[in-house]
Amino acid sequence: MSDIRLEVKNISKNFGITRALKNVSFTINKGEVHALIGENGSGKSTLTNMLTGIYPMETGTFVLDGQEIHPKNQVDANNLGISIIVQELGTLSGLTVAENIFLGHEDRFIKCGIRNTQKMNAEANRLLEKYGFNNIKANKMVDEYNFEDRKLIEIVKATYFHPKIVVIDETTTALSQEGREELYKHMKRIRDEGNTIIFISHDLPEILSKSDTITVLRDGDYITTVKSADVKEEDLKKLMVGREVTGDYYRADYGEEISKEVVLSVRNVTVPGIIHDVSFDLHKGEILGFGGLSESGMHEVGKAIFGASYDREGSVVLANGTPINDITTAINNSIAYTSKDRDNESIVINESIRDNIALPSLDKLRRSPGLPFISWSKIKAFALKYALEMSVKMQGTEQFVSELSGGNKQKVVLARWIGKDSDIIVLDSPTRGIDIGVKQDIYQLMNKMRKEGKSIIMISEELMELIGMCDRIIIMKDGTVSGETMRSPDLNEHSLIEMMV
Amino acid sequence: MTEVSVNMDAERAKAHKVRMIRALLPIAGLIFVFVLFNILTGGRMISHMHLAMSQVYVTMIAAMGVFFIMTMGGLDFSQGSILGLSAIVVCYLSHYSIPLAIVGGMAVGAAVGAVNGYFYVRRKIKSFIVTICTMFLFRGLIKFLTTEAPVAGSPYLVLMDSTEFKVMCTLIVVGLGYIAFVHTKFGICLKSIGAGEKAAMFSGIRTDRMKFLVYVLSGAITGFAAFISAIKVGSVTSSGGNQLETQILIALVLGGMPISGGAMARFGNCVVGSLLYVILSSGLTMMGFSTQLMQLIQGVIFLLFVFIFADRKAIQVIK
Repeated sequence: MSDIRLEVKNISKNFGITRALKNVSFTINKGEVHALIGENGSGKSTLTNMLTGIYPMETGTFVLDGQEIHPKNQVDANNLGISIIVQELGTLSGLTVAENIFLGHEDRFIKCGIRNTQKMNAEANRLLEKYGFNNIKANKMVDEYNFEDRKLIEIVKATYFHPKIVVIDETTTALSQEGREELYKHMKRIRDEGNTIIFISHDLPEILSKSDTITVLRDGDYITTVKSADVKEEDLKKLMVGREVTGDYYRADYGEEISKEVVLSVRNVTVPGIIHDVSFDLHKGEILGFGGLSESGMHEVGKAIFGASYDREGSVVLANGTPINDITTAINNSIAYTSKDRDNESIVINESIRDNIALPSLDKLRRSPGLPFISWSKIKAFALKYALEMSVKMQGTEQFVSELSGGNKQKVVLARWIGKDSDIIVLDSPTRGIDIGVKQDIYQLMNKMRKEGKSIIMISEELMELIGMCDRIIIMKDGTVSGETMRSPDLNEHSLIEMMV
Repeated sequence: MTEVSVNMDAERAKAHKVRMIRALLPIAGLIFVFVLFNILTGGRMISHMHLAMSQVYVTMIAAMGVFFIMTMGGLDFSQGSILGLSAIVVCYLSHYSIPLAIVGGMAVGAAVGAVNGYFYVRRKIKSFIVTICTMFLFRGLIKFLTTEAPVAGSPYLVLMDSTEFKVMCTLIVVGLGYIAFVHTKFGICLKSIGAGEKAAMFSGIRTDRMKFLVYVLSGAITGFAAFISAIKVGSVTSSGGNQLETQILIALVLGGMPISGGAMARFGNCVVGSLLYVILSSGLTMMGFSTQLMQLIQGVIFLLFVFIFADRKAIQVIK
């Protein structure tokens, strides 16, 4: 018996005019964690989505253990021994935990057309216990659990039947440290059982430490497959981008004085059930970081500043005394906000790039000031200018945002606020699910804006980028501020984690 | 590399073509239906054009208000009742002064729109539920007010009835609507709310205020349409404005309006749609079809157009 689990043979796939995969071939072995890396739009997810039956196949074949396979849908893929844990929520609301775990495989509990719910719940509870997730109960609705726990449910769902291949698609970016550890534990178990994991992540140190083999894709082309032990992070970056990654990644400066000038002061802000009594000042030209576990309330701080929180108490006041209590006032007073939930809150997905970029700036794109008439030529020029400045990969500004990849969507979001020329920029998880090339662009952009005297609040679950970019870092825990540190070359993740947990 | 770019150009041209077909289909349909009925009725339609068109003014004006509502992802089934109620007020007030009657009709329409808007926006009840409720509620009121006899307007009202006057009024209203929708930020804001309300709010649009005001505006516009309807008939019976809401809905869908609203909505939808609907229905009447058969035919055409124009990428349950 050979060691080869899966052969990918001459796979191609087009989405309209986009060639997502071009004749990709490589092999994946048994008992390994096989990482798939590449920049946004390189075709990683397209490949795994075809393998798991989410997208239909076009040309080429998958050979699993010597058998050619054509998965028609996810259940079909499951039956062939392939499962997937996706980046976003993969559990269905309104169903119980057990119903989610056995979705598509209820047959084994059905007798004469009647489902034996008790038996199904008992089986689900047995699995949850076996995985060590004792706080999750099979008969509860999944909606009662938070994002983190729902991911754990997905782990059970994807692996309980000992599949031959488990695809883990950028799941870790959405997880906190504890959640990741849990996932790593199960990845190791699956590998030790002789099965295979296809691991997609943008976090290169994570890739290097958790995978055995790495395959690199770039713009839909297969580049190479390497052993993790033989390469360093720099080599991978080079392979992914196709050129040497030069210049600074994070900021290089240390010991710069923060301006005394306060541009925004937040006092005793409370959002019932989420954050409690948060106060801080934001200075001119400063990058202020917020770190913590995803449930620590730090994401709500961004919303509260932007006037988007429901039932907020306390005050958010600008230097000139203007109170910020709603979104429109915030935007009119030069505050920008990018949400962690990009597709629902940062950008109107089913609308053109042009309208999205111009939307907050419409008042200055009039034919003549004083009259309410907007100028379409100004809008077009405006959108094009900032889309190009952010180098959004697009066919034109008329293209709908829904057709762009994650990184490009984020660029459109940033283009909109750069166009608006806001002075206070609140960035919630700006680099979430984004590849290093774009990440570097975003970091450089932040640095540039800082030097122009703009103030930035950066909320992130990635401690390294907070350490690398921020003048000051505030750590949140259980909805309150639990610590604050200044920028320093000696700062490391451990000292921050201590404040977080 | 060149091969790829050629391929891309071809694909782009294809996508462009599909969009063009979508945009042109209602206009082509309009011409086709017009020519078809003229042939079938032996030119009777074109010679009785003012008769065929007599319906279009009310439908088009009211459809414009609903077009705004549907663009932002809402629905309104209470239009018929608004028209009926406003027409009653117009008739009452016309005995005192015509300008007062116009203002009064629009105010009543706006008030009903405000009731719709209040329950939809403030109480967060889905718009089709709210407007179905107000449809029944105000239809009841209309029936109560017309129990004894139809409400008759001042004789001066009917004297104003002329095709020129109605065309002029329609042109002014639709023209103002066009400028607001295409040349101010009103249109972009409505489309953004329809395409993604939360993201629109996070872009600085006061979505709740906007939604409320659009319902008020639409009510006022239909209130004006009630004036046009009143000068045509001169009185209001208990069935005044009956089924206007379905006529508007069919007209908009025939005009290529995506039923879930959003960025694909075009102002032309309400103009072309109203014309198409009116020619279709008066053509069928001239052909001598019974009302029942006409409803059947209209139903089939409605379903067909919804099928073609549903924006499946943006599919969501209509609120």
